[in-house]
Amino acid sequence: MQRSHIAVLIPAWDEETTVASVVANLKKDIDCDVIVINDASMDGTVAQAERAGAKVLSLPVNLGAWGAIQTGIRYALKQGYRQVITMDADGQHDSAFIPHLLAPIQEGTANIVIGSCTDRGSMARKIAWMLFRWITGLDIKDITSGFRSYDSSAMILLASREATLLEYQDVGVLMLLMQSGLRIREIEVKMQPRQVGSSKVFSSWFKVAEYMILTMILCSSHIMKRKRRLSATQRGSL
Amino acid sequence: MKHLFPYQWTTAIIGIVIAFIILLLIRRDLLHVKRSLWWIGIAALIVVMGFFPTTIDKFGILLGVNYPPVLILTLGIGFILIKILSMDLERSRQERTLRRLTQRMAILEGMLSEVNGKKEER
Repeated sequence: MQRSHIAVLIPAWDEETTVASVVANLKKDIDCDVIVINDASMDGTVAQAERAGAKVLSLPVNLGAWGAIQTGIRYALKQGYRQVITMDADGQHDSAFIPHLLAPIQEGTANIVIGSCTDRGSMARKIAWMLFRWITGLDIKDITSGFRSYDSSAMILLASREATLLEYQDVGVLMLLMQSGLRIREIEVKMQPRQVGSSKVFSSWFKVAEYMILTMILCSSHIMKRKRRLSATQRGSL
Repeated sequence: MKHLFPYQWTTAIIGIVIAFIILLLIRRDLLHVKRSLWWIGIAALIVVMGFFPTTIDKFGILLGVNYPPVLILTLGIGFILIKILSMDLERSRQERTLRRLTQRMAILEGMLSEVNGKKEER
């Protein structure tokens, strides 16, 4: 089987209603391999994703969104992919923007490209983004977007043990990338509202408060951390 | 009422009992020998304080503590905090390892299913 050189990674946790259409749209629009990382779903996510033509990796226990994405990145590196796209399984991200996410990497002007949509989100979310940007010094408008592309150097860094205890693909991941001197670029994209259900990360006010406090602690712990290059250990711990 | 033992003996006996329980747990393979160092150390400290109770008084005076038993309680709480923190450090290390093993399992299963799929195609 001839592999495409690009893999699209989709973490999915109980997304049987939307995952098949997301995979089918991708297959229709882009020449890529679609890898769905099933985060210990209890519904028919695996069957739906496979039926739509995705390669499915099944985690035996729930690791959360970032744990699933890291699994996909580690798999992609082992399979020889040198560029990956990450997107959500709930249909929020439009595959038509993928060529725009890939272009800066292929031109060599960025290691990571973030599909930003600052129109979405409540006022509270925007204030939280502003606060995190101020503490971390990250010059990124949409720090929680899961619609991104990574080149091989970013993949190697994010597959390392150092990135394993992160919870979300947001501030922690971005700080790690920035401190390693990798180039991050943002492009504006349109995002759709969730087709079905509600956000699993922010499913209750308690979860929102927990997320805010943990992210604040994470941001504070990284203040004044110096830039460094990818170490041999990181390269060797895939 | 007359005391059964002098108070030094009571403290020393507690230390010896703790040390004995730790050795018993290792013997029954319920406690990893690596984890026993801390507890044996604490037991030894209790025994020393039992047999030489004036040691803590001397330390108390040196550190400016008027009522030396407070020093024992403060040190005890400090040791407990250190122990709990070290347990959380160990838990974080184990969680990292567990997550990576879980990921590796999913990756290897995925690769295995590909190999099996190719075999069936032939």
